[in-house]
Amino acid sequence: MKKILITTLVLVLVITYSYAQDTPAPEPFTPSKTQFMVRGYAHAGLNYKKTGDEVESTFVGTTFNPLFIFKHGDRLLFESELAFSFEDGQLDIGFEYANMSYLINDYMTIRMGKMLLPFGTFIERLHPSWVNKFANAPLGFGHGGIAPASGIGVEMRGAIPVGSMKILYSVYATNGPVLNTGMDAEGNFDEPDEAGQLMFNNFEDNNNKKGYGGRLGILPFANSSVEIGGSIYGGAVGDRGSSYGNIGAMLYAVDFSFVRQVSAVRGIVDVKAQYNLSNVDQATYIEPADDPLDPDEAYTFENSSNAYFAQASYRPTMAGNDVMKNFEVAYRYSAFNAPEGAEWEQQSTQWSVALNYYMNWRTLFKLSYQSTSQVGGHGVPEGETVQTDGIFVHWALGF
Amino acid sequence: MKNIKTLFVFLLPLAVGLILASSCASSKITMKSGAQLWGENCVRCHATPSPSAYNDIDWETIGLHMRIRANLTAEETNKIVEFLQSAN
Ligand code: HEC
Repeated sequence: MKKILITTLVLVLVITYSYAQDTPAPEPFTPSKTQFMVRGYAHAGLNYKKTGDEVESTFVGTTFNPLFIFKHGDRLLFESELAFSFEDGQLDIGFEYANMSYLINDYMTIRMGKMLLPFGTFIERLHPSWVNKFANAPLGFGHGGIAPASGIGVEMRGAIPVGSMKILYSVYATNGPVLNTGMDAEGNFDEPDEAGQLMFNNFEDNNNKKGYGGRLGILPFANSSVEIGGSIYGGAVGDRGSSYGNIGAMLYAVDFSFVRQVSAVRGIVDVKAQYNLSNVDQATYIEPADDPLDPDEAYTFENSSNAYFAQASYRPTMAGNDVMKNFEVAYRYSAFNAPEGAEWEQQSTQWSVALNYYMNWRTLFKLSYQSTSQVGGHGVPEGETVQTDGIFVHWALGF
Repeated sequence: MKNIKTLFVFLLPLAVGLILASSCASSKITMKSGAQLWGENCVRCHATPSPSAYNDIDWETIGLHMRIRANLTAEETNKIVEFLQSAN
């Protein structure tokens, strides 16, 4: 009997002990040091455009931009975004950016890699389809525009509070823009219609000289509702060793932003604007003769272009009605002036109105009407103004 | 000529900003709550996400991402992230 009792006791002890070993007291959950996130955005829609008697109506999309964010500890971040879309019937994959950042101190971050450049604010802050209140970029701001989207290089950025104001800064060095001379490296005609334009994809520095730039933004009010910014970017743009080796360019931008929930109008008022100016040193380009027996012709022009937009929107966020709250109305005016005498000379203006509905904070339906008039440029007969009306129904979504 | 333009681009916003700021009642970042900083900052570029949009860990990552993208200071970011984590 004693034996049985002792054996039972030992058994119970062993079992309890081993049980206790298997289930230690639960510890509070601590997230791991490294975090990885996939976010991004997409959009699809219907575009309808009418130029004179010519009508173009097509479903577009889907553009799909996955964004990868990797965080290690409190100071190290890597971000990269790809852009999948169809271009001329083929899948096009864009490599929008890929860069690493390290927080040096409370007010300063260093970044390196391919990054969106803070030249003004449109590209860095407003171009994603779920942020942009319209179906497209303002004139001169999209692909083939006069302002850089991204650059490969190194940047210091941050913010400094000064009393109740805040100053945002960024300075960077990149491979710099590249001058399109209309010819390839062997001197054959390549894109003669684009001679004098700047290209901003400079993956391997074409001239060893770096492009330098920066932006200074000021938030003068304590409530951060207003921001005024000035940007500059420039450097040598011609190919090393070519006759364009000494050609340089200087770009300037000023931007403005006002965003505030104004109780007098029971909603958010959002006003944004940016003006870009591009000055490229004057150079001589060659125009291929129409008839191969005729000599090609050299020409030059004052290479200065500008593009700007101003937009205002209103969303009745304080409306009593839940559906009303999610509507937004927006207006945008934009203009693009390419240099006189260039093959790509043009003056265009555009206005757009939009009615948007937010399904959630980053999913929205955008219905917009856009009216564009263009003088000069590809496919526009000399001296004529071409008027295009467009209706866009887009569904944009951030995830 | 170019240098003058360059100066102009930088100094004009600075001057306008300073004039506007000097005529405005002030309260410093240190005196503001995370909720207030969230309300003022996260609406400047896109619609404001509500705290419930993400979990605590995601807010840490997003906080760092936005700190860099939106040029926020450490204090602003920490206060905003703490608020979002406490209210989600
Ligand atoms: C200076 C403009 C700006 C401000 C201010 C800003 N954001 Fe963003 N935010 C962006 C942009 C641009 C993206 C899209 C990033 C991309 O796709 O390249 C974004 C994306 C996001 C995303 C999607 C996930 C991600 O990290 O990309 C979240 C969530 C977000 N912002 C939250 C916030 C919060 C919270 C605040 C306030 C602290 C804030 N944002 C302030 C510009 C801004």
